[in-house]
Amino acid sequence: MSMIRFDNLSKRYESGYEALRSVSFEMDAGEMAFLTGHSGAGKSTLLKLLMLIERPTSGNLLINGKNLNRLPDAKVPFYRRQVGVVFQNHQLLFDRSVFDNVALPLQVAGYSQGDIGRRVRAALDSVGLLDREKANPIALSGGEQQRVGIARAVVHKPKILLADEPTGNLDPQLSAEIMALFKRFQDVGVTVLVASHDINLINRMNMRIMRLNQGEMEQDGVSYGGY
Amino acid sequence: MAATNSKSRDSAQRGARGQVLSRLDRWHSYRQHHRATLKSSTVKILREPLQSLLTVLVIAIALTLPAALYLGVENIRQLSGGVDASAQISVFVKKGARESALEALGEKLESLSGVASVSYISAQMAVDEFEALSGFGSALEYLDENPLPDSFLVQPLLVSDAPRLVTEIRQLNLVDDVQLDLEWLQRLDALLDMGRKLVLALGAALGLGVILVVGNTIRLAIQSRRDEITVVKLVGGTDAYVRRPFLYSGLLFGIFGAMVAALMLTALRFWLAGPVDKLALLYQSQFSITGLGLGGVITLLLIGGTIGLIGAWLAVGQHLRNIKPR
Repeated sequence: MSMIRFDNLSKRYESGYEALRSVSFEMDAGEMAFLTGHSGAGKSTLLKLLMLIERPTSGNLLINGKNLNRLPDAKVPFYRRQVGVVFQNHQLLFDRSVFDNVALPLQVAGYSQGDIGRRVRAALDSVGLLDREKANPIALSGGEQQRVGIARAVVHKPKILLADEPTGNLDPQLSAEIMALFKRFQDVGVTVLVASHDINLINRMNMRIMRLNQGEMEQDGVSYGGY
Repeated sequence: MAATNSKSRDSAQRGARGQVLSRLDRWHSYRQHHRATLKSSTVKILREPLQSLLTVLVIAIALTLPAALYLGVENIRQLSGGVDASAQISVFVKKGARESALEALGEKLESLSGVASVSYISAQMAVDEFEALSGFGSALEYLDENPLPDSFLVQPLLVSDAPRLVTEIRQLNLVDDVQLDLEWLQRLDALLDMGRKLVLALGAALGLGVILVVGNTIRLAIQSRRDEITVVKLVGGTDAYVRRPFLYSGLLFGIFGAMVAALMLTALRFWLAGPVDKLALLYQSQFSITGLGLGGVITLLLIGGTIGLIGAWLAVGQHLRNIKPR
């Protein structure tokens, strides 16, 4: 069974703007793919639908066989606990330590203190920042901040990992490191979808690439000719 | 080593029994979150002492005003309870009654139900008292005979029995006239009624004020924690989880406000105690001001906490809806 399934999904905003037009695709569990396209092509909208920040206007979105359209608003938080999200601006909170930032998804889900300590350190270890747990994220470099963001996205062992322009502000060297990190999570069975317009980088990754153009799925496959 | 073993056995049992234990875990962490939230909310209030103090003072004043009025009304009511004793019925006897008839009338009055005591005041005693108290004594010397009648003072057990006793006594032989001075008591009762309604109205208006003040404080707190709320929602925090710290803040503001109000009322009481005692002494009364008491303080804290919670709830409901992850 596919982990993510878009079934003729459309999203029209109240302003009348059509962000997605009848988009269909599937991703298997443990698959990794890139989502690309010009800005305004619908990448962000697609990710927002996956995080249930937006609801589709028409069509079905199935996660692990379950139709998200039928999920009531009150259940949305529990769905989000199965998903990890990495943001371009990393959305870290500067009023608390790296540790507490990464611990947030676990606190929200009601893990015990002991569990939280163990899992947060494991997540920080996996992004190579175990020694920075007490630091304030504002004191970290851009690449380190993004890695803290990734640690927070995977600390609760989500089945799906989404990333919205995770390398947007990073130099090519750091970007490649971040992508390699995503690949490692795919290796342990996480379904990874990365929205990015860093064509050079994703071409080198040699993975499935889906290209959106004006809200429509223009191209979907491993071999991608580039712009 | 033994500890590790038992731990792994624990988790094996957990796996086998599933739901029950994990619900227990959830309950524990739920309670833990409540504790942690209470602590962090308290810390947040203390971290901005000036802003918090202003909010607490406004709440305290808004609670003190109606509470002080309430205490005033209650004290006056107690005072009026003390003057039940002065709700005496004067029974004037027809002139020329014989001594034996007077005695019979006295016994008859004592036997009526609802009568606490009866005292006899002869015409001569009445004149002496009049002379002593009024200073017009010499005027009586111009009169040939004593114009005052013999009388009885009947003390009812309850003020509410007085009107019935008056009608009963009127029908007795030898009774010329019966007087009951209840009017001023009734006026006082009406005034106290008005006072109580005023307490309610003032309390309602100021309670609404407290709700608005707490609501505004919470609204500012929500604005300043916008980023945090967004992230918490993104990582799967429920609305209840997001709401909790703000509700605790509102509750704490209300309770702190009520505490300060209780202190203010106590101070007011001691400030007034001196003059009131002096006044009571002048009236030869045992009266002294009654304060809130433990029950009153608890009620005040409950009211403050509830109002704070309501204010926070309204603000949170209105403003959290506007914060959606983008």
